[in-house]
Amino acid sequence: MPREHLLKIGVSGVRGVVGEFLTPALALHFAQAFGTYVGRGRVVVGRDTRTSGPMLQHAVHCGLLAAGCDVVDVGILPTPTMQIYVEHIRARGGIGLTASHNPPEYNALKLFNKEGQFFNHYERNELIDLYHQSDFAQATNAEIGQVRPEDGSAKSVHIGRVLAKVDVERIRRRKFRVALDAVNGAGSVMTPGFLVDSLQCRMEAISIDPTKVFPRIAEPRPDTLGDLAELVQKTGSEVGFAQDPDADRLAIVDENGRVLDNDDVLALAVLRALAVVPGDVVVNLTTSSAIDDIALGFGRRVFRTPVGEANVVETMQAVNAAIGGEGSAGGVIFPAVQLCRDSYTAMAFLLDLMAETGKTVSQLVADLPQYVRKSGKVPFEHGRLGGLMQALEEGFPEAEADRTDGLKLMWADRWLHVRSSNTEPLLRLFVEAKSEEAAARLYETAWELLTA
Amino acid sequence: MRGDSGLRISHVGLRGIVGRGLTAGHILDFAAAFGTFLEPGRPVVVGRDPRASGRMAWEGVVSALMACGHTVIDLGVVSTPVVQHALQRLDAAGGIAISASHNAAEWNALRFLGPRGTYLSTAEAGELLDIYHLRKFRFVEWDALGGLRQEDGALDRYLDDLAVVFDLSALRRFRVVVDCCNGTSALILRRMVERYGLDLVLINERVEGVQFAHEPTTSARMVELQLGPLMKPLQAHAGFLFDVDSDRVAMADELGRGVSEEMMLPLLADHQLTRGPGKIVITNLSSSALVEDIAAKHGGRVLRVPVGRQAAMDALAAYRPEQIAVAGEGTGAVMMPQFRFIYDGIASMLAVLTMMQETGRSLAELLAEYPRYSILKGEVRLESPRVPALLVDLLESYPDGRIDRTDGLRVSWPNRWFHVRVSHTEPIIRVICEQRGEAPVELFETLMDKARSYS
Repeated sequence: MPREHLLKIGVSGVRGVVGEFLTPALALHFAQAFGTYVGRGRVVVGRDTRTSGPMLQHAVHCGLLAAGCDVVDVGILPTPTMQIYVEHIRARGGIGLTASHNPPEYNALKLFNKEGQFFNHYERNELIDLYHQSDFAQATNAEIGQVRPEDGSAKSVHIGRVLAKVDVERIRRRKFRVALDAVNGAGSVMTPGFLVDSLQCRMEAISIDPTKVFPRIAEPRPDTLGDLAELVQKTGSEVGFAQDPDADRLAIVDENGRVLDNDDVLALAVLRALAVVPGDVVVNLTTSSAIDDIALGFGRRVFRTPVGEANVVETMQAVNAAIGGEGSAGGVIFPAVQLCRDSYTAMAFLLDLMAETGKTVSQLVADLPQYVRKSGKVPFEHGRLGGLMQALEEGFPEAEADRTDGLKLMWADRWLHVRSSNTEPLLRLFVEAKSEEAAARLYETAWELLTA
Repeated sequence: MRGDSGLRISHVGLRGIVGRGLTAGHILDFAAAFGTFLEPGRPVVVGRDPRASGRMAWEGVVSALMACGHTVIDLGVVSTPVVQHALQRLDAAGGIAISASHNAAEWNALRFLGPRGTYLSTAEAGELLDIYHLRKFRFVEWDALGGLRQEDGALDRYLDDLAVVFDLSALRRFRVVVDCCNGTSALILRRMVERYGLDLVLINERVEGVQFAHEPTTSARMVELQLGPLMKPLQAHAGFLFDVDSDRVAMADELGRGVSEEMMLPLLADHQLTRGPGKIVITNLSSSALVEDIAAKHGGRVLRVPVGRQAAMDALAAYRPEQIAVAGEGTGAVMMPQFRFIYDGIASMLAVLTMMQETGRSLAELLAEYPRYSILKGEVRLESPRVPALLVDLLESYPDGRIDRTDGLRVSWPNRWFHVRVSHTEPIIRVICEQRGEAPVELFETLMDKARSYS
């Protein structure tokens, strides 16, 4: 990977490889800029289980104290739990040290506003300007605040909000047999309690030691969840749950050990959410049309946004959506709990669906609207991107085009979406159609146009 | 240096007014330079004084050291001498004491310590400064980062060692009043009362981060102001006043009189030269000539070096420890070989009480035995470019004295001397003038007038 991608300071905050690139000084200055931006008051700081977490957290504390803020140290905690806690204690904001599903050598500063949501586009730009201006608030000795540990309520606040939106008794009565792979991440400190104590599941778990390194590739994908699939089959579990290191994303394994497509995970959550709360649905351009079919069944609309959690969240807020997410990324966002990706909501929704219907996971998936999806990556040369997009559009003159994020071409029964990666000189190509054959045909035609 | 924000980056380390000159960024970068400077992979000991800004600085220091692959052994809020002492015991690469010592509450500083607990030599400090200025830090990768562990009991191990050197139970007979100035000495002295039953009356003993009861200056004037009125009513034998990190101390006698800070070194030189085996007293060019009288009495000798901690450290390094009796300044900061040469006000206090116990004399009686010297000190604001001309002028005006030009100009005669030097910390020159017996008023005024004529 070329060097410039080892550190990124941009609208999504600061992310990079710890050591030469993501340094403690960078974390300190970013935190001091953040403290200057949100103003004096309490700021929640927590982290996932990466080895670089404590080092960066001390730097963040230093920057926040220097800006005159007080620090509420929540230690290792899932990202959604931190976000909820920021709002719950009416803090000025929060900083989460987590690189989510990235490999262990990465870390990042995730920035939360006082509502416990990711900074929106405008907030992020203002903060970046402040960071570059380096004109930070500088507290004097008399103005310097304190670092206090969290009072122990953060987990129960989050769990309480999730349980309020499902039929807890119905789930508990079933005493589900569940398997868990928490990747030794932040979920390790909360998920076993959530499944066993709150939902009275019978749990078999692997990788729930927050002091150990990630035992698998951090992103929960079909090719990384072999151990969980095996555990499900060996223990006869009804479902397997896999979290990423900061426990905002969830992957699901069915009772046969098959890893569900992320689009299906989202579709099941949408199905449950629309039955519970009123409102429309927001998903990104690459998410399956299954969502449209489900929403139609409830008489709800679907809004599409560019790829990226922040884009989805901004639109969800604007349209007061009931639920949203990104199929490809495995994120379920349910604002009645918190306007952020939350694996706990996704787990509770699935168990609630199973309890209500008496169906297995594979049966629930089989009941979803059926689509076939294909995706791939096409390398491109710098300066040729525009020409490729144009060739593609001209190759399909009859399709409806959406150019808000790359190019999406849509027909009544199929679509394709091409966008450039934010981090590499690659085009990502996604297609979806009603049948295997139609999907393959569309994929091949697009591939030829892009590689001609 | 006008409109001063107080920031000083020098061989002594990093110091300044927090939020005005000294920022979190400076602290983290300097700690990263130290982490790069030290032998890789070995732990680093960290302690801090109670200033509120200490927590902020501590967070930055810990982060930087971890990032350089050093595990931090945290002693929490402790005196600088306790950090230095712990370093001698623990197998650490070095240490950082976060403390602005005798400065006002709004200041803070990083003090860098070598593996034996002493301050860095000039060569080492120069290398550290170069790394800081280059900002090429040795940050390790994600799987080699340092950890953090708390070390409890550093205070007790320190007291154990003091108890080996001093017969603490023999000192119970003295009632001692101490002004802790809301600093770390309160933690040490309270524990000393618990463990050894010393009769200590502590004032300003609440450890404070923001508001000190008074400026933590260890001067005769301050100790007389704070403790003078208490001595007789409490029937105390001696009074002591510590700065915030208790490396410096001032004292008052049983009559409530503040004792000149210049007296601490001669008094302890007398004590140390009696004990042996060291015969060399190291001090700077500005401290009282009384120390020469005392050295002569014991067949010892005085080595005078430029003002500043750095020169003293370099001089110490040039001798074997057993050759040295004591090292110190006219400020009252004294190092003794029993404690491997760290400035420690608590040790100084115990040495003075031990002298009282061994000789059976009161503090006032002990001090009365020494010949009287009178010292006058002044300062004049002077632009740096004018300094050489003044010094040459003075050199030509006093051709009959013994000349020392290692730090400004010191001229000495059998019964008097003067020293004119440039301050390390302010754009001023300092004039110090001492005479056996009466104060050398005329000489002092002449020197001050000459200095003013160049300003």
